[in-house]
Amino acid sequence: MEKRDLVTRVLAGDPDAERELYDSHVDRVYRLVYRMVGDSELASDYTQDTFIRTFDRLATFRGESALSTWITAIAISVVYNGQRKVKRIRTREVDIEHAEPVAATIRHSDPDLKDRLARAIDGLPEGYRTVFLMHDVEGFTHDQIGSALGIQEGTSKAQLSRARAKLRHELAAFAGDWAS
Amino acid sequence: MMDEREDRFDSFIRNAARDDYNTPPTTPKAEMWERIEAARRTSRSNGVLPFRRPATRPAFRIALGLAAILVLGVAIGRITAPGVTSPTTAPITTAAAPDADKKDKSTVATQLATADHLSQVETFLTEFGTDKASPEFTDHAKDLLGTTRLLLDSKRVSDPRTRKLLEDLELVLVQIATMNPKDRAEDLNSIADGLAQNQLRTRLRNAIPAGPVIRL
Repeated sequence: MEKRDLVTRVLAGDPDAERELYDSHVDRVYRLVYRMVGDSELASDYTQDTFIRTFDRLATFRGESALSTWITAIAISVVYNGQRKVKRIRTREVDIEHAEPVAATIRHSDPDLKDRLARAIDGLPEGYRTVFLMHDVEGFTHDQIGSALGIQEGTSKAQLSRARAKLRHELAAFAGDWAS
Repeated sequence: MMDEREDRFDSFIRNAARDDYNTPPTTPKAEMWERIEAARRTSRSNGVLPFRRPATRPAFRIALGLAAILVLGVAIGRITAPGVTSPTTAPITTAAAPDADKKDKSTVATQLATADHLSQVETFLTEFGTDKASPEFTDHAKDLLGTTRLLLDSKRVSDPRTRKLLEDLELVLVQIATMNPKDRAEDLNSIADGLAQNQLRTRLRNAIPAGPVIRL
């Protein structure tokens, strides 16, 4: 109800409501987009584009899904289209040495595992990768994923299962590390 | 036992991915908001209105659809029977009329070419979804890609929905045309996912007029 009021206020042209809507959702959108693209400039561009589209199309939001899910669907569409346009699908050309400065603050895991993990996730088919990142990494539920991607909840579960199987296969060499 | 091992390994991978895979930095909220506001101000000052679903009534939509079908039918009739002229039709004598007629015919011809092309792409994608990929598929995709680009370059293809559909098809056809021969299974899955997520097959079917396609 509160969300509906917020939408109504945004549609009425209330700038405070626009900012409130943005503040409520931007972290979640940015985190997911960043996980998907791994580049801060692209993540910012796609997040901005997501919110521009969100405001432009808000009149068409009918409340059939949660507002957050609706915005996530827009974000995923923006990322897919953007990534295809810049021809970066499932390729990881970025050298770990030149990765984001944030990498320097990251934990103590084996660099080889980190690299192999990145390659394995990048190598997943687009749909599997998205479901894996949404569910296992960013904590979306299958219901939310299904609504955002326009697929059945069961399809989301099946894709996650296949993604995990592929990752287990790709990272089998590290099976001893976690067992010990 | 095996399931337990898999669960534990999954958990290990999940935690490693959360910690190490594309770990997001702090959200640059303020910078992005400034740019969003600037973009929206520019959009407003250029007179670009926000997207709104047209509030047409069902009866009006039906009438509009019938009128469109009628116009398309007449146009197809005129194009496919060029030698037949009505004996009661007086010859048009104004200078501008032949040009207008020619323009009209080229537009209809482009629409027919687009419908024909979309129909071929639909057939291709349907076959692609059922058969194993082969070198012929990539060659065929390249041919279709060429036509898609020609249509996108044509000013006569002006309908935004058709253009968007062609753009999305272009991306899928590029993927198929550049498939990695060593890793086809993954490419096939990726393409199938892309088709499903963009609802391309449904949009294609909706864009192709019902009835037999006239080959040009």
